[in-house]
Amino acid sequence: MARLGYDETAIGDEAPVKRHRLTRTDLVRYAGASGDFNPMHHDEPMARAAGQPSVFGHGMLSMGLLGTALTEWAGPGSVVHYKVRFSRQTWPGESLVTRVVVTGRREEGGRKLVEVDCFLANDEGEQKVVGRATLLAG
Amino acid sequence: MPVDKSVIGSCVGVRRVVVERGPVAVFAEAVTDGDPIYRDAGAAAEAGFESIPVPPTFPAVMEHWGSFAEMQPESTAVRPVFGELFGPLLERGGLLLHGEEELEYFAPVCVGDVLSGESYIRDVYEKVSGDYTMTFIITETLWTNEKRHEPAVAVRSNTLVRTRSTPSP
Repeated sequence: MARLGYDETAIGDEAPVKRHRLTRTDLVRYAGASGDFNPMHHDEPMARAAGQPSVFGHGMLSMGLLGTALTEWAGPGSVVHYKVRFSRQTWPGESLVTRVVVTGRREEGGRKLVEVDCFLANDEGEQKVVGRATLLAG
Repeated sequence: MPVDKSVIGSCVGVRRVVVERGPVAVFAEAVTDGDPIYRDAGAAAEAGFESIPVPPTFPAVMEHWGSFAEMQPESTAVRPVFGELFGPLLERGGLLLHGEEELEYFAPVCVGDVLSGESYIRDVYEKVSGDYTMTFIITETLWTNEKRHEPAVAVRSNTLVRTRSTPSP
C-alpha cells in the first residue's frame, strides 16, 4: 500500500514536483466530478458580473491536484491526515506547481508516519494552497 | 451584525452514501491522477486493497454521487444553517469562498463501502478585513463505514462569504 520507505525518507526530502496548466475544461471536469456547480467556476459572464476577472478554480480542485502529488509519491491510501488553507484563487491559464517537503518522521501505534508541508503555487511563486499532511510509510 | 452563535452544534446533514467505481474513476481523472489503482480492481488488489480505494479528497464530494433517496435514514432533523446565514449575504452580492479543508482518515475508503455521515456546525464567526466582512461557517462531517462498523474519515470545512462592508453612518 505504502510506497514511501520510512528508513529511506529524511527531513528535507521533497516529492517530485508536479506541474499543471489550469484550463477552463479542468474546471468544468471538476465541477462534474464533484457536483460543485457554483457558477463562479464555469460561467464567465456571471463571474465577471460578480467582479471577478474570469471564472476561477475550485479550492477543492487545488487540494485535489496537490493530493495527487502526495499519492503519486507516497502511494494511494497513504494519506491519513491532510489539511490545507486556500490562500489565493486559481485562474485559467496559470501553471500550478506542487511542492511537498518532509518535516518529520514518527512511529505511532505500530505505524510509520511521515509528516510533510505541502504547497501549490503558480509559476510566479504566488501561493494558492498551503497545507500539511501525514503519510503512511512502509 | 453579529453572527448568531446559537447555531453552533446544530446538525446540518445526515446521510448514507455508497462508493461506486465510476465516480471514483471520474474523480481521479479530474484531479489528474492516472494511477490504475483508481480504475482497475486487479491493480488495487495487487497493491493490497480489498477493492479500489478513493483519492484522498474524494470523501469531500462523495455525497454528490452516492446519496440515493431509498438508502437515506427516515428522520433527518437538520437545521439549514447555510441558507439561514449565507443566503441573505449571497443575495447582497457576497462571494462564496472556501477557506480551509481538513481530512482525517481512520481507515481506507474503498469502492463498495457504504458510509453514514453526520455533519455539525463547529463554529461561526465574522472577520473584518479592509473593505470586506467575512462570515465563516466551520463544519465537521464524521463518516462511519457501515460494513466494518468503524469510523472511516472526518471532513472539516471552513467556508465563508465575503461581502463589502457597509460604511458606518
